[in-house]
Amino acid sequence: MRRRDWIRTAAGAAASAAWIRADDLPAHPRQLQFPPLSFEPPSADEHRHDLSGGASAYLVEDHQLPLVTVSLTVRTGSYLVPDDRLGLAGFTGSQMRSGGTKTMSAREFDEEAAFLATQISSSLGATSGRASVNCLKQNLDASLAMFFDMLKNPGFDPERLEISRTRTLQGMQRRNDQLRSIQLREFSRLMRGNNHFTTKQSTEATVKSITPEFMRDFHQSYYHPSRFIFAVSGDFDTDDMIRQLNGALADGWSANAKDPGKIPVSNHAPQAGVYIVDKVGREVNQSHIAVGHLGIERSNPDHIAVGIMNDILGGGGFISRIMSRVRSDEGLAYSAGSSFRPGTYYPGLFQVAFQSRNPTCAQATAIVFEEIDRIRSEKISMLEIDTARSSAIEIFPRFFATAGQVAGTFAADEYTKREAGYWKKYRERVADVSIDDVLNVAQKYLHLEKLVVLAVGDREAMLVGNPDKPDYSFDKFARGNEIHAIPLPDPMTMEYPDA
Amino acid sequence: MKPVGNLRLFFTVALAVSALFGQRVEVDEFTLDNGMNFLLLPRKGDPNVAAGWVAKVGSVNERPGVTGVAHLFEHMMFKGTRTIGTKDIAKDLATIQQLDDLRKRIQAEETALIEKHRRGAIDDAKNPENRSTTHTALIKSFEELIQQQRELTVKDEFDRLYTAAGASGMNAGTTNDFTIYFINVPANKLELWFWMESDRLTNPVFREFYSERDVVHEERRLRVDSTPTGKLDEQFDSMFWQSSPYNWPVIGWPSDLEGITREEALEFFSIYYAPNNITAAIVGDFDVERAKALAQKYFGRLKRGPAALEPVRTREIVQQAEKRMAGYAETRPTVRMRYHTVADAHVDEPPLLVLSSLLNGRTGRLYKSLVLEQKVAAQAGAGVNGLKFDGYFELSGVAAPRHTPEEVEKALLAEIEVMQEELVGERELQKVKNQQLAGDFRKLRSKFGLMMQLLSYEALGEWENINLFSDRIQAVTPEDVQRVAKKYFFDTNKNVAVYYTKDGATPPRGRRSGSAGRTGGGR
Repeated sequence: MRRRDWIRTAAGAAASAAWIRADDLPAHPRQLQFPPLSFEPPSADEHRHDLSGGASAYLVEDHQLPLVTVSLTVRTGSYLVPDDRLGLAGFTGSQMRSGGTKTMSAREFDEEAAFLATQISSSLGATSGRASVNCLKQNLDASLAMFFDMLKNPGFDPERLEISRTRTLQGMQRRNDQLRSIQLREFSRLMRGNNHFTTKQSTEATVKSITPEFMRDFHQSYYHPSRFIFAVSGDFDTDDMIRQLNGALADGWSANAKDPGKIPVSNHAPQAGVYIVDKVGREVNQSHIAVGHLGIERSNPDHIAVGIMNDILGGGGFISRIMSRVRSDEGLAYSAGSSFRPGTYYPGLFQVAFQSRNPTCAQATAIVFEEIDRIRSEKISMLEIDTARSSAIEIFPRFFATAGQVAGTFAADEYTKREAGYWKKYRERVADVSIDDVLNVAQKYLHLEKLVVLAVGDREAMLVGNPDKPDYSFDKFARGNEIHAIPLPDPMTMEYPDA
Repeated sequence: MKPVGNLRLFFTVALAVSALFGQRVEVDEFTLDNGMNFLLLPRKGDPNVAAGWVAKVGSVNERPGVTGVAHLFEHMMFKGTRTIGTKDIAKDLATIQQLDDLRKRIQAEETALIEKHRRGAIDDAKNPENRSTTHTALIKSFEELIQQQRELTVKDEFDRLYTAAGASGMNAGTTNDFTIYFINVPANKLELWFWMESDRLTNPVFREFYSERDVVHEERRLRVDSTPTGKLDEQFDSMFWQSSPYNWPVIGWPSDLEGITREEALEFFSIYYAPNNITAAIVGDFDVERAKALAQKYFGRLKRGPAALEPVRTREIVQQAEKRMAGYAETRPTVRMRYHTVADAHVDEPPLLVLSSLLNGRTGRLYKSLVLEQKVAAQAGAGVNGLKFDGYFELSGVAAPRHTPEEVEKALLAEIEVMQEELVGERELQKVKNQQLAGDFRKLRSKFGLMMQLLSYEALGEWENINLFSDRIQAVTPEDVQRVAKKYFFDTNKNVAVYYTKDGATPPRGRRSGSAGRTGGGR
């Protein structure tokens, strides 16, 4: 009781203090004057070096801490794996790290790296392979030796493969547990169809087909200096590092490297409509919704204006229109927003995603439709364009905040063949985006009639809707068509039962 | 286990160790007259400053009825002030008061419905058909007033000012023990941070309180209710803590999230957000003297709160018997074993951390024994959680196919026994210490990360621990590890949760639809 009294007293004090304001303080942040901040992005050419065997590297020294990071991007990807061996790329990447080398057992490799406190990693994703080493400067020679031993002579220890396979198959059974992962998988299928490498799924059969020989063959085909781009940052001397990298690249690599070819595009034409995955099996009182359609490629010069448009619509965090209405006005979702990332190799996606309790999903979806419609039909405000442009320009130095980011950005740009001088012109191009440009790209690249709505959750509760807001329903988005049911697949075979 | 590697490597690292011992985070610390503390750490690099502050308050300071208020309050701190977020502060405040009054009357109606439901007079307290005409009218007035208030507000101005200035990563977080607010600002905009943060600590206005309460409820559904093991994890926490206020979740119980009032959030503010309960940290490209002057200019106006707050009074009672729970979830068969240990600042924390490091990772004992050799587990790990007033050590494992969580539990216990009976080898211990030393450098790479660590250390004890802690880890002996293994790992101090796999194909349909109305009915 005494504690409550004391609270009241304190509250009273705080309220009266609220009116006290020092006279010399600016009344509003608008009145603050900031010194100019000049920043020029680093240049790729200054840091780029050709290495032996056709490799290249971006080296950025930073001597503040006695650490060195060498990151490698390899031109390969899971798109090169045949359908009956899906999963092979991922296994090859991770088993390079886990399976020892030709001269060190898996256990010896792990123990030595652990004792040196050196972090070594390897992975192989959809459109690239990655590997990295991070170590104390004092241990650079030993760490680089281990790193290149892994890249050249992976051991693919069969016992480690079995452990990883068992764990993968056990995880595979849990493919239908998380609403979020179901949403990602099914939205991707709705956008890209079933036959694109981004939507093909490994199965029990394909994972069981993977052998050390297949992994060795995949590794031999693509891990070759001519496919390597390095990003090196930290406490090293550039000339020494180039000597060391060239020494490691000189010999010992596969003689039968294959051409990684072209990354396949998808020819699938998404079908607009409402799709629901009925997720039952536990009390699910919240559903996950995705709304979207195909987007644009990075080569499209409009992508800067599209980025600004998307910031205002739903990409710009709390001040974006979708977040502001769905979350802070109505309290319908914790996170809500849109992304419109241009694709590097084929069109990217426009996608709005949020989660809401089952009865309010239709209402939140309706708000998303309204906002997409509004940005297509009305000019945005001066305040909105100012905020979006100024944010993108002012935040620009953060892209190059660390030596690792600088080296990594340039390596990624070379890998994806980004146009030269892109960063030098970036802020200028952002500043040139006008209110009319935003309206134009919204009309050109957002299409209400093409929107695919995917809901994952309790179908019945979502369709019943909110008794307090009976006007909202999923039927409206279906426009007289049926609401499609997407069944959950067998997680081990990825066969979908008939809906 | 045979040691591997060679002498050359060992000496390389021994050399590294001596070089590393010099590494210190040199903070310029100062305190304003009102008790607000500042940790200043200039760092070269890009033109950016990572800045934040921590209020030493978390869910541990709550009481039943308002669980979740620390976190809800954190959300409200982004809703503006007397200056930010409004076109007419007088009308705005009057409207907020009217909204509170309406809300109170609505809540009385809701309480009456809950009471009817408790007696079985109605089947669902959330069904609009059960509402009285007064209740329906009140809801309508409330919604109309919300619309009117929108005319008075400058929506999300707090966010917009920072965003337009090129600030990034703005957010906040609430833990059991502290609440932390953080951001990156361009180096030339440091004064903006001082303006904005001191303003919201001086003049906060809790606009959109009731819709934000719904947002937090959605956050709870996202993080707890709709995840495969969220509710079991929550139950395990509550089973583990018997008397301590760590017993309830930071996000709060659902009933409280539907009931907390704006007044209660304000009370919370006046107690715990006084400057003498707050520490700020700035790391990056800035001038210390200018920062000190700005701190005085902007934060100097905050009024010191009542003298030091009493530490949380209710401590955890000594556990008398082993506690167990078993549940079913759409997850792999899992066992979690948790033992009461010590608070973060306790001298036993470093040896406990060393113990967990010996168990963890690719070369840790659990992976080697349970996964590689016995093949009883698909994965296994250990972790220390030192909180401000108490702490625990947890071991966990996922059963391999054709094995059970109970077998994993046995295997985990066997590893603990080895720790109790045998001294750890020098080389194995040195490996863990080497990793700690390299980690000391890695944690300095990010200015933002460093700012967050300084504030976390300060919130749980004092920031100097960021330096002292390293030395304490390096000083841990094999005997220390054995001592803590014997001291904390015993049966009546044990809490076990077993999660069996529930097959999603056979849902308990009746239960699900029966409760759909209840769980689906936020306001």
